[in-house]
Amino acid sequence: MAMTIIRRTMARHTTIADDAGLARRRLWQLLSPTLPIGAYSYSGGLEAAVETGRIRTAGDVGDWLAGQLDHTLACVDVPLLARLHGAWLADEATAVHHFSSWLRACRETAELAAEDYHLGRALAALLSDLGLVEADAWRDEPMASWATLFALALARWGIPLQEGVEAYLWSWCDNQVAAAVKLVPLGQTDGQRLLQELAVAVGGAAAAGLALADEDIGGSAPGLAILSSGHETQYSRLFRS
Amino acid sequence: MMATAACVEGTGDGWLASLQLRYAEREGRTVLAHRRHQGPLLVQRSFHPEGAPCHSYLIHPPGGVVGGDRLLLDAELAEGSHAVLTTPAAAKFYRSGGRRAEQRQTFHVADGAALEYLPAETILHGGCDVMLGSRFELSGNARLCTWDVLCLGRPGSGDHYVGGACVQDLRVLRNGEIRLHERLRLHHGDRFLDATWGLDRQVVVGTLVATPAAAGLEGELRDSLNPPACVRWGVTRIADILLLRCLGPRAEEVRRLAEQAWTLLRQPVFDRPPSPPRIWRT
Repeated sequence: MAMTIIRRTMARHTTIADDAGLARRRLWQLLSPTLPIGAYSYSGGLEAAVETGRIRTAGDVGDWLAGQLDHTLACVDVPLLARLHGAWLADEATAVHHFSSWLRACRETAELAAEDYHLGRALAALLSDLGLVEADAWRDEPMASWATLFALALARWGIPLQEGVEAYLWSWCDNQVAAAVKLVPLGQTDGQRLLQELAVAVGGAAAAGLALADEDIGGSAPGLAILSSGHETQYSRLFRS
Repeated sequence: MMATAACVEGTGDGWLASLQLRYAEREGRTVLAHRRHQGPLLVQRSFHPEGAPCHSYLIHPPGGVVGGDRLLLDAELAEGSHAVLTTPAAAKFYRSGGRRAEQRQTFHVADGAALEYLPAETILHGGCDVMLGSRFELSGNARLCTWDVLCLGRPGSGDHYVGGACVQDLRVLRNGEIRLHERLRLHHGDRFLDATWGLDRQVVVGTLVATPAAAGLEGELRDSLNPPACVRWGVTRIADILLLRCLGPRAEEVRRLAEQAWTLLRQPVFDRPPSPPRIWRT
């Protein structure tokens, strides 16, 4: 009897969570490179690093990505994604806004902020079309970020946080490697080798980021920020960041 | 009893120095309306070399900070006031001896007030363990320009920052909402110091922040700066905050570039021609 009541009251957030297989498949959908949000048009500073001759080999790309995983994504994206996930689960709109603003404040250049904003809005539109009504308001919200809406999907589709965080980092790696294959350029197999190495780094970055206390959040990469600033006025560009 | 209290105050094994300042506008001029200090962190007499704005020099007489020391600065700028704060000498952080040293600076800038906080460089010596925190809380249309130049060791004197550790945290808030958050983790031996995306083997990192910046100001600054070849630099904006970041081999060049940027930004951001604090020229 009591169990039925609890089940009924929790139905909204747990119907899907009850089916772990379905939650996992929803995550795969979220990770698909065919997700219509246009992530392929951003390189996150990589194009500028290649253009200025700072990245020439697959090894350079590996250092560039693994370094950012440890220094910026693990210190900024992961802890804030986790807090956004908690805020969505608790239906705390003010907290969702606060952590989204904090994330935006950590983006180091106009281009990197715009990238996050555009991806966030695109994901808001898609999630809204897929039936997550709360995403709708974020289509036009200036603080929308990829992590804000990704966290909403994790929360409503019952995807466990740890898995969701690793998936977030993985999709970043996947997109960056795809950009590197075009830009450096690299062979498709080189790209896959890179992803195989990065898969290890993703686990470490997720664990480190999830363990971070509030007062330790934040991470800057001045070399990347300077390159990205230069990209804003680069004469000829394939990518929007 | 008194002696015991003093011991606790100094935490027994490190100095606590704190300074509270309050600037206010009185009959068209900004004055230092209130100051309170504890321990060796002082403000020298104020000047008015350009009319209304108040220029002050912050002094730390010991000249260096060791492990366990804490330096706390809390400055408030009341509505309509304009303060230009600088320091006459580099801040130096020495070997920690196993205890972290801390510098915390908080600035509250009221609606209609303006703050320029332009200190000399910070030198982080090998073996240091330092937390540097700066927080700028702006209200309404408060204006701000600040920079920070950090030197990892003194390579010219054989100090290569061996065993050094420093976290520098910079936050700018407007009306309680965070707008900019930078955090540098500068640990000797970490790949961050060598990586292209990190410090790129440079030992001096500089950041200049100015807000509010009108649309297009970043382009003007980019085109007007005349940086030395040895400095990597970039100008961008986050919302209404303009940022200049620099990486270089020596403090002098990075500092000069930051000064140049400040000179170019003073009119557009503060509506005043540049009037460099006299101490910069001595």
